[in-house]
Amino acid sequence: MRNVTMMSYGEAIREALDDGLATYPEMILIGEGVSDPKTVFATTQGLREKYGAERVLDMPLAENGMTGICIGAALGGMRPVLVHQRIDFALLSVDQLVNNAAKWRYMFDGQQQVPLVIRVIIGRGWGQGPQHSQSLQAMFAQVPGLKVVMPTTAGDAYHSMLDAIADNNPVLFIEHRWLHHIKGEVDKNRSPSALNGAALLRQGGDITLAAFSHMTIEALKAAAVLAKHGIDAEVLDMRCLTPLDVDSVARSIDKTGLLLVADCAPEIASMAHNLLSKLFQSHGQRLKQPPRLIAYPNHPVPTSHFMANHYYPGAEEIAVTVLEMLNKQPLKQTVKMELQSDLARDLPDRSFTGPF
Amino acid sequence: MAQATAELKQLYFQMLRIRRIEEAIAERYQQQEMRCPTHLCIGEEAIAVGVSAHLTPQDKVFSNHRGHGHYLAKGGDLRRLLAELYGFAEGCCGGRGGSMHLTDLAAGFIASTPIVGGTVPLAGGYAWAEQMKKSGAAQGCASVAGGTTPWMEEVERSRRPEPRTPEATNVVVVFFGDGCFEEGVMHETMNFAALKKLPLLFVCENNQYSVMTPLTERQPERDIYKIAAAHGLQAVSGDGNQVDQVYAMAQTAVANARAGQGPQFLELHTHRWPEHCGPNEDDELGYRSPGELNGWKQRCPLLQTRQFLLESRLSNESELAEMERVLADEIEQAFQWSLRGNRPSIDSMRHHLYA
Repeated sequence: MRNVTMMSYGEAIREALDDGLATYPEMILIGEGVSDPKTVFATTQGLREKYGAERVLDMPLAENGMTGICIGAALGGMRPVLVHQRIDFALLSVDQLVNNAAKWRYMFDGQQQVPLVIRVIIGRGWGQGPQHSQSLQAMFAQVPGLKVVMPTTAGDAYHSMLDAIADNNPVLFIEHRWLHHIKGEVDKNRSPSALNGAALLRQGGDITLAAFSHMTIEALKAAAVLAKHGIDAEVLDMRCLTPLDVDSVARSIDKTGLLLVADCAPEIASMAHNLLSKLFQSHGQRLKQPPRLIAYPNHPVPTSHFMANHYYPGAEEIAVTVLEMLNKQPLKQTVKMELQSDLARDLPDRSFTGPF
Repeated sequence: MAQATAELKQLYFQMLRIRRIEEAIAERYQQQEMRCPTHLCIGEEAIAVGVSAHLTPQDKVFSNHRGHGHYLAKGGDLRRLLAELYGFAEGCCGGRGGSMHLTDLAAGFIASTPIVGGTVPLAGGYAWAEQMKKSGAAQGCASVAGGTTPWMEEVERSRRPEPRTPEATNVVVVFFGDGCFEEGVMHETMNFAALKKLPLLFVCENNQYSVMTPLTERQPERDIYKIAAAHGLQAVSGDGNQVDQVYAMAQTAVANARAGQGPQFLELHTHRWPEHCGPNEDDELGYRSPGELNGWKQRCPLLQTRQFLLESRLSNESELAEMERVLADEIEQAFQWSLRGNRPSIDSMRHHLYA
């Protein structure tokens, strides 16, 4: 029996937190703004009223200390979900995350464990600037002992949040702010994704597009336009960073022989390097030509939208690169025209009035 | 020893036990078989003993790099401590931690770790969990324990069983030093503990040195415990080398925390005798003032208690000699047990990263 509801990604997260609090009496939801009037972009709306101030609460501005306190609470039998409205603030807690949460079970020989979810939001544009819109997912994914997921669709957001809450390991749950408004099907009866594996979102035999988080949406946009010109791109959503599902990408390359990776992070900080290095080691000879990478420039994003508009790549860059790889340059102008939008690149949609 | 009690003999025995164990570790450390950074607590025994005397196995302790005394005073298994130092599978962390990572869940000793301040917020979080479980905010939750092995279970069974009283609030204690007081998480945790009135006891062992750097180079001239008081904690300071004084202060603090009066703070003045890390003395390096170490040795927590026990006729030479014999025997047997330990399998090295 399917039990499908259409909801936005943000609503799906709220729904998962709601169901998590109902399922696990030991779950705590804590973070700066969790219980304020804006409730972390409405993703924690109504939960304090429903589950009480002891379990749904705001916190002191002490990211490292509060991460340690949540680790301690997890050791004491709780299941904390700690929210950072921007990943930039989670940097203050790297000591507790890396030295304690990630290693606790290992260094105490499996006698103790840390069921903890850290929700962080990444994003782009609308003047959030150098310290409010970073994409640091790869950095965290390089720490053994942490699990890192960054779902793209509302359905995955719902299930991977519930999985993360149920998981007895520390899980970093990364949301791209621009995904929050995108609607999708949430089937509560779907078998859970178990925080594992890439998702095949579009089948195609001409080229493999492996994309991370919001860049998956851009890849899908590019694929839709390319399809009008007879180019069938396969789109894989790399929704789980640890372990990275290299095998699914390899299987797709077996079909297509061509790979483009798109990540919402500066090139130097992209998970793509991890993916490409693993692919080269195990499946290098299956690629007909060198893979391409679409990522952000290797400098911080400036606040001014006059500059930021030229910082972020998107569907247009993905589609043009695909045409180059397939040696179909004559289509470039047409495809570019079809993908061009009068919407500024620092806005997710016309309704958005910021900030995030 | 104005506050001498009937417990004094037992407190002396516990301090003597830690001293003799640390000395035995120091002696064998030279053999290069215990190859891990080891921070001995010789000179500071009264604090661990005086505080832990008021704790049940259900109460929890968090500690730091200099944690042998805290582990032993809380009832941590000596044999598994030694096996851990040797890197054997029977060690309390299966050889993954060494001296700076100790745990004994059955004894309520949750963990020691060496990132200064690292366990302070964890103690706060654990106390928060205890409080929520008690209040019914999160009923039906048990602490999440991982796997176990048959020999571990055997060790656990040999422990003294303690009846659990469901109405009692479990208290969490965290031991740290004057250097840790400079860490941000220290103050972040005190703030939250006071906000939530957590059943948490902060024990600051002020030994005046962070490694070899004196307090005067690190902190302005003011009392540490007063900063804790300004955070809203009930805070007092005292002589950490007088076990009866530590015992009395901890009695009040633990009772207050248990009674729901919120977090407590003890600043206890003491001094480390050996080098910061390792089995030797290092007075020749000259970072301590001339005569400073000797002054503290005159105020040895064991010596002071021993003199009082004899002068007040609470004990006598032959009884104290019997204590030495009992301890020598226990320590020798513990070393023999741990030295019969098994090498952890190479294959097991990759285990337990994820649940």
